[in-house]
Amino acid sequence: METILEITDLRVHFPGRGGAPVRAVDGVSLHIAPGETLGLVGESGCGKSTIANAAVGLLAPTSGRIVVAGTDIAGASPRVLREVRAQVQMVFQDPITSLNPRMTIGTAIGESLLVRGRAAGAALRARVGELLQEVGLRPDHADRYPHQFSGGQRQRVVIARALALRPALLVCDEAVSALDVSVRAQILNLLVALQARYGMAMLFVSHDLAVVRHVCDRVAVMYLGQLAEIAPRDALFAAPRHPYTQALIAAVPDPDPAVQRARVSVPLVGEIPSPANPPPGCRFHTRCPVAVSRCAVDVPALRSVGAAMVACHLA
Amino acid sequence: MRRISWGTALIFAGLLAFMVAAVGADVFASNDPLRQSLLLRLRPPGTATATAYFPLGTDDLGRDLLARILYGARASLMVAALSVSVSLLVGVTLGLMAGWFGGWVSIIAMRAVDTMLSIPAILLAVLTVAVLGPGFFNLVLVLGLTRWPRYTRVAYAQTLQVAALPYVRAAEMAGCGPGRILLRHVLPNIAGPLMVVATSEFGLMILFEASLSFLGLGIQPPYPSWGSIMSVGRQYVVRAWWLTAFPGACLFGVVLCVNLFGDWLRDRVDPRSQGR
Amino acid sequence: MTALSVRDLSLAALAVRDLSLAIGRTNIVDAISFDVAPGEVLALVGESGCGKSVTAQAIMRLLPAAIRQTGGEITLGATSLSNLSARAMRDLRGRQIAMIFQEPQSALDPLATVGNQIAEALRQPLARVRAEVRQMLVEVGISDPDRRIDQHPFELSGGMCQRVMIAIALIARPAVLIADEPTTALDVTIQAQILALLRRLAAERQTAVVLITHDMGVVADIADRVAVMYAGRVAETGPTAAVFATPAHPYTALLLASIPRLSDVPKSALAVIDGQVPQPADYGTGCRFAGRCPRGDRRCVAETPALGPVADGRLVACFHPVGG
Repeated sequence: METILEITDLRVHFPGRGGAPVRAVDGVSLHIAPGETLGLVGESGCGKSTIANAAVGLLAPTSGRIVVAGTDIAGASPRVLREVRAQVQMVFQDPITSLNPRMTIGTAIGESLLVRGRAAGAALRARVGELLQEVGLRPDHADRYPHQFSGGQRQRVVIARALALRPALLVCDEAVSALDVSVRAQILNLLVALQARYGMAMLFVSHDLAVVRHVCDRVAVMYLGQLAEIAPRDALFAAPRHPYTQALIAAVPDPDPAVQRARVSVPLVGEIPSPANPPPGCRFHTRCPVAVSRCAVDVPALRSVGAAMVACHLA
Repeated sequence: MRRISWGTALIFAGLLAFMVAAVGADVFASNDPLRQSLLLRLRPPGTATATAYFPLGTDDLGRDLLARILYGARASLMVAALSVSVSLLVGVTLGLMAGWFGGWVSIIAMRAVDTMLSIPAILLAVLTVAVLGPGFFNLVLVLGLTRWPRYTRVAYAQTLQVAALPYVRAAEMAGCGPGRILLRHVLPNIAGPLMVVATSEFGLMILFEASLSFLGLGIQPPYPSWGSIMSVGRQYVVRAWWLTAFPGACLFGVVLCVNLFGDWLRDRVDPRSQGR
Repeated sequence: MTALSVRDLSLAALAVRDLSLAIGRTNIVDAISFDVAPGEVLALVGESGCGKSVTAQAIMRLLPAAIRQTGGEITLGATSLSNLSARAMRDLRGRQIAMIFQEPQSALDPLATVGNQIAEALRQPLARVRAEVRQMLVEVGISDPDRRIDQHPFELSGGMCQRVMIAIALIARPAVLIADEPTTALDVTIQAQILALLRRLAAERQTAVVLITHDMGVVADIADRVAVMYAGRVAETGPTAAVFATPAHPYTALLLASIPRLSDVPKSALAVIDGQVPQPADYGTGCRFAGRCPRGDRRCVAETPALGPVADGRLVACFHPVGG
């Protein structure tokens, strides 16, 4: 099967305070086909942003393989990374710190084309103008500085910058989380439209399940550095198999009081354990409403259940 | 456009006067600062002869004190500006590289900073001048090559912060090399705090130049410097107060203005007021 | 404000009337009014810059120095807050009216133990009120209270810190609780716990809650009534169920339609509101939403629509309400 991103048994450990390393990502495998959007959801500390950063080579993995467009970038040289990054680009969470405040947005958008020798002078300027139009801005905006734009407009600039090299994979790390509701809709529509037009694959990292469901083809649910479940979107939301997926979906308040108040959901008890000291066995067993004694001992492997892959003894 | 208070305007006026006096010394001085006249030794301020007028009096060799102070200002400004430039270049380059590459680069750079900062600056300057010999260029070299650690510290800490920001990650993703990232993305965004350090160093450099010249290790006679004028004046402090009072007042006023300007600049580049 | 006679004001624990706030001469909150009854949750909802957080600060009389109250009246039970001395207001805070914040970890004192911080809200030494403080920790759902009571904030997770904040806020049994984005910094499963806790405590203790949020899901979950704010004004207010079922203000309708839901068609175009929220300096006369409104006309640009009643006990500030 052809893939644009193939991650195999990825581990990313950070040195922890006082001894035990923080196992931010601990044995994750996943892949993305060309043109496909994979959603990566989970709560803070689950390792989803770490995977996003490792996938673009901004973070060196402890072990495992990360194959982007046929090249393994785990431990790759700066030269190889530079080549691969023509294929994979990133959109960050905070539109304010994503743009250099002392650089015009036109320079920022055209920078990758310029330093890679793909365009210069009038041709570069024309290309930047096209990119600005593609994301719903005007070519004459190119000479302005970031502070002259609103948050939503800045995120459009960031998207234009990421698209300049026509990447085969776009990694969005909480790309709409910092935006207001009405602006978020604009950016989501833009991402969906751009993907339809250019057919790039996306790794869409978010804590917001409704947003992930809206833009993704498949969804991977992470808990404490490991995959709990990975399944096609409709299967995952219609019939979540992992108790954590079920709890996560149940915890999203529906913006319709009639629906929301009719739901009978028992909130998940307890806190998220520390990734420096994850529970033995299934990492979710300390909060799991259906856990049995085996869950505290045996680590559940990811296995096929219907259309889904689930890491649960009871699924 | 922000309104500027009266106090700030006064600081700017003081600095402007210093610059104008230094740059236009030959225009404002009616007498040659090197021309001696033993008949006119140690004349008090306001002395007038048939051919010349000495508004601030004369020194022990009968030279015009006003002219010597004006030319001394020029020496101060040049030494301070050049030595700040040298140390800024050295310090910022080292700090940027230490902050960006980390690892052994930062270990070596930051240990060098700690070492330099643990040696008394004036002692180090005295020793270096003693080895290299006094004079204008050696003075600039000594001050420039001993005063870079503060820039390195600030540049290092700021680079660490800025390098973690998404726009720098994005520049990496775009394919920019370290040179372009440091010059186009990091340096412009850490320039504010560096300018604050440079300003306070500028004031210090003026003081250092005066101190070294006072000790006879800086600007060499017969060329005037505020420090050397005061050094001579020290011997006549009872008989000719003007020889120490006027250059001392100038030194005090200029350094005060520079420091106050530094405070004002710091408030302007404070992160809390940025982006407005 | 005759329009507000929809409700019996003598029942209100907190009433805000025609509150206006300004930075210099620039008006940022324009004559907003609302009230909350004991045990009721009122949500002030809106996007950033709509004035919801400064309104909360104005109620607490904790406005930043640059912002002034230029008009209006805030009454807590029978007490008017506007004329209180700074000292009297200080006595009132914590006892009559309390507040919780978005970032619980930074709102707590890092150097004081949890128990001491809760006891401080009672203005008593911990030793004297230890049993009461312990009981409060149990009520906010903190397990192992005997150990937690002597811990410092850094030893607790974000969700637990927010529970401690709620304990501090509610231990003196205030009549009114202002909750400013209390769950925004928390994960969804923790958010569900905290919302359930707030709902239960408000009902049990008959606390009037003003919930400031940008999240329509949170509003739908726990608010009895909602006031939708836009650019410093209340666009629409009424019972949550009615406002969500048939939004009358075009802004409310578009805002609700722009949210991705678990029930919508994936990858379908979400409704968008063209343009951006205006800056306070550009408010001008007339309806502040007029420039972005699909129903806006010349009258909307020239005149300010007053908040007036429509069906189901609701008020809307619009000349051309949806379905009207």
